[in-house]
Order: sequence, then structure tokens, then C-alpha cells
Amino acid sequence: MSDLEPIAPRYVVRPRRRASPIWLVVAALAALLMLPIFVNSYTQYIVNTILLYSLVGLGFNIVLGYLGQLAFANAAFFGVGAYVSTLAAARLGIPFWISLLPCGVFGGMVGLLVALPALRLERYYLAIVTLTMGELLRWAYIHTDAITGGSSGVAVPDPIVFGHALTTDAQKYYVCLAVTVSLYWITRNLLRSRLGRALNAVRQNELAAASLGLSPVRVKMIAFAWSGFIVAIAGALFSIVLGRITPDSFDLTQLLLHFAIVMIGGLGSLAGSLIGAVLLTAAPELLRNVAGVQEIAFAMLLILVLLLMPQGLSGLLTRYVPALRDRFFGEEP
Amino acid sequence: MFLQLVTSGISQGSIYALVALGMTVLFRATAIVNFGHGELFMLGALFAYIFVQVVGLGFVPAAVASICVMFLVGLAIERLLIRPMGDASHMSTAMMTVAFSFLFKGLARYRYGGDVLSMPPVFSYPPIEVGGVVVTVQDVIIAGVTLGLVAVFLTTFRFSRFGRIAQAASQAPRGAVLVGINLPALHGAMWGISAALGAVAGILTAPISLIYPDMGGGVLMRAFAAMTLGGFGNFGGAVLGGLLVGIMEQLAGGYISSSLIDIFAYIVIVVVLLVFPSGLFGSKATVRV
Repeated sequence: MSDLEPIAPRYVVRPRRRASPIWLVVAALAALLMLPIFVNSYTQYIVNTILLYSLVGLGFNIVLGYLGQLAFANAAFFGVGAYVSTLAAARLGIPFWISLLPCGVFGGMVGLLVALPALRLERYYLAIVTLTMGELLRWAYIHTDAITGGSSGVAVPDPIVFGHALTTDAQKYYVCLAVTVSLYWITRNLLRSRLGRALNAVRQNELAAASLGLSPVRVKMIAFAWSGFIVAIAGALFSIVLGRITPDSFDLTQLLLHFAIVMIGGLGSLAGSLIGAVLLTAAPELLRNVAGVQEIAFAMLLILVLLLMPQGLSGLLTRYVPALRDRFFGEEP
Repeated sequence: MFLQLVTSGISQGSIYALVALGMTVLFRATAIVNFGHGELFMLGALFAYIFVQVVGLGFVPAAVASICVMFLVGLAIERLLIRPMGDASHMSTAMMTVAFSFLFKGLARYRYGGDVLSMPPVFSYPPIEVGGVVVTVQDVIIAGVTLGLVAVFLTTFRFSRFGRIAQAASQAPRGAVLVGINLPALHGAMWGISAALGAVAGILTAPISLIYPDMGGGVLMRAFAAMTLGGFGNFGGAVLGGLLVGIMEQLAGGYISSSLIDIFAYIVIVVVLLVFPSGLFGSKATVRV
């Protein structure tokens, strides 16, 4: 395939992006805030999981969809976040809300580490070398049992936020909601800024981007660090929502779930990640009791999406309802 | 101790070599890296088990039947899942191989999930002792079958008409189509052959290990390590890489710490890709466009 693509379609003049009407945002937020009143504890738990997985999709999409790198270190970021925040609370007694940000920074540093091979390797080579990252870390969790509790894992203490211990799912929900909404908002703005356009440029043609004065090395480093930051924070949320973490929570299955969330939702669509998270967390929960059926349903869903709607669900929605693109699914890759 | 470890390393490594060879065949022909190859390995073993335990065949007929079934599975994957995608991006094809790996794992778990299956012992000869090294009949069979298959494979690919067609098609797909090679049919055949090779490896492992839905994951990573070490896309490299990974893994496990066996393949991948990415036998500039 040639790198020279016709430029015309990419520069279609679109009407200026309208902000969503303010009442819509307020209504949505109000509905989200009231949610715990109407649902039982189990549903609440699933909603929490959906929130944190939409954050995972958001972070993974930066590397996979926007930067276009087939990097599979996502479960590593996720695990680092979960273990750092849990061990900080369980072994050092650091409250959850204080450790949350350093936890993200930790994930960002792992992201930088992953960016190093990404500067040299491409496609499958990168996929395979990053695949090992999560497995190496998982091995480390298992074999440093004095700190991490080995294969049986660690119990997560009740998270402490501003001096209050959160015990119910509804309380944890507000933490998840606040973190998710703010990170979503920040990422959305970042992707619409100069940095977002730089990501697009580097994905489409690294050479051309460099000739315009962008540094592909720097852009890649920033993208991986940001992705690692978000996913590590999602990992910290995962630990408090589940209440116990084991090395097996961060194996290849976890990674494939992340990959599937992004692919089903649509590469390069933030709202798509949310749809993917809803579908892939809520649906398997219903099929939990029969061995294997969960995996079969998951696989069928993936196959259908890949065969029938290569752009993911968000691509399908915007094709039939173009107005949605500007409002929710912007930044088409 | 050293020779004993090397012997069991060769036996293990032969399995990795076969799996890596199957993946290389597919990669050469279609430029697809099959992340679901471990499940083809698992299905090969599972079908052999079913043919022995449920249908009641002997081990050898069951093995042949399982290999045939897996060839058809490979054809079906290409025809039903890969071909309809057209020329999708490498990310989508990677996801598709992941998707069918989940499907197969789920199907295996649905039917046989609760229990770990074990094949009845096939060859109950006493182990042979050669110069202080204990060699089981199973080891000899695994290494022998692998050696034979690899030899047949390499000569077929180099000298037969089919081999030349396959080479032409992987070097210049468009040119191959222009001279009348049926590319989709060739790709189908390659999927079939690749799946059958995976099945052979699974069947060889079946009598000495347990059969369970997740048995493919570890082998897949070892095969990746073998391919990376030998040079991605190189037949001989994949086989030698597989043997080397098997032997080194056993040595590291025996002399340093047995917990290293689980992780050795990953270390090989990281070191090779970061230090000499083209591997032992790979050519430098292999950009597929």
C-alpha cells in the first residue's frame, strides 16, 4: 500500500463542532449521580466494572487507535496500577486517594519503558515483545510472595478517601465515576489539541510528520506514557472494586478482554471504548455460570464485529447517524 | 545431569519446533501471525483423545483421523473467517485469530471443562538407558517424527512443484496471480497444513501430558520465542529455534531454578528482539508492504 493517499477527503470542511447542549450534560450527570438509589448492590458492582473498563479502553485506544501501534502491554499497566495501589494501602498504610496519582505515574513510567521497543520494532515484533511484558510481571508477582502474597494474591483493604473508609459498592461507584469522567474529559481535550493531531500525523505517515518538524520519538513516548497512566489508574480502581487481586487477574485473558473492548467499540473512538466496555463486561456477567459459554459468546461477538463492521460499533453508528459523529464520536482516525 | 537435561530438552524442543514450523508456514504464505495456533495444538490433542476414548480407535488411526479433521478446521478458518475480511489491516486479522482461539477454547471448556483429561499410555516399553542417560520411547518417537516431518517439509518446499508455487506466491502475490496461481486456494491449503502441523505437535504431546482447554497458551509463547530466535519467517530457523528454546529452558530449569522454565521463552523473546531483532538466520530487511 502506498503512503500517498488522496488528501481531499481528509480535509472536508465540516460545520464547526458544536458542544453538546449544556442541559444534556447536566441531565446525564444527574442521572449518573442518582444511579445508586435505583440499583441493587450486584448491579452496582457491574456498573463499577463497566466504568473502570471504559477507562481501560480509553487508555488502550490512545496507543492502538490513535498512535496505531500494535502494543500488547496493557495488562502490564493494569497490573502495575492494581498492585501499586493495593500494596501501598496494605503494606505501607497509604490511603487510596493519596496513592492514586503516584500509581498513575508508575504506570506512565512502565509506559515509557514499553515505548523504547516501540521506537525500534514494528507490527508483530512489537506485539510479541510487549506481550511478554505482562507475563514477566505476572511471574514477578508470583515469585515475590513475601510482598505480593504470591499466587494466592492480596486482599485489598477498604479504600480510604479523605479519611473515610469506603465499604459499599455505591461509595466506590462515586470514586470510579469521578475518576473516569475527569480522565475522559482530559483525554478528549488532549486528543483535540496539537498533541492529538500529532498522534494522527505520526500514525498516518511517520516520515511526513517528521518533515513537518514533529518528533515521532517524542510523540510516541508521550502517547505510551499517557496510556500507561490511565490504564494504571483503571487498575487501581479494579483492585478496590474487586477487593482481592491475584496474579492470574492480569494474564493473557485480561489483555484480550482489553483488546476486544477497543476493537469492538472502534479504533480511535473514545465513546466506542465505552460501548465496548458495556457490552463486554455486562454480557459475560450474565453467562458466568456455564463453563465455556462466556468465551464462546465473546468470540462470536468479536467475529461478527470483525466481519460485518470493521470500524467497530461506533463506526456503524456514525455511518447511519452522521450527526452523532460531531457530537460524540469525533476524532475519527 | 547435563546430557539428561539436553535429552529432555530435545524432546520438548521438538514439540516447540513443530508448532513454530506450523506458524511459519502460515506467516510465509499469508503474512498472518496466528495468535490462535496454540488452540489448534490443543484441538489436535483433544480430537486424538476423543477418537481413542469415545470412538475406540487405536492410537495411530486416531492420530491420523485427528490430523485430517484439523486440516479441515484450517480450511474452514480460512474460508469462513479470514477470506471474508478481504485485505483488512494486520490489527484486524490479529484480532480475528484471537477471536477463533477463544471460540475453540470455549468449545473445549463447554464439553470437557470440568476435568483434566489424560490419554491412556500408548507405548509402555521400559525406558532405555544409554551411557547414564535415561531415554523414554516417547522421547525417541517425538524427536524422530519431528525430524522426519521437518525433512519432508523442507524438501517438499524447496523442490516440488507445489513448494515452488507456494514460494512464488509468498514472494510476489500479485505476480503469482498474474501467472495463474489460485491464491485463495493456496492460502486455504496453507491454513490447513499449518493446522495439521499444530495437531501433530498436540498429538505427540498428548500421551505424556494432560489435555485441558488452556494447554495451548504456553506452547504458543514458546513458538514465538523459537520463531524470533531463528529469524521470523525462516523454516530452518523456526525448527532450530524450537530445539534451542527447549534445551536452554531445561538447562536453565536444571541449573538455576525450576521456576525459570515458565518464563524462559519470554526472556529469549525480549533479549533477541532488543539485541539482534533479525534472529539467528533471519534476513535483515524484511519489510512486507
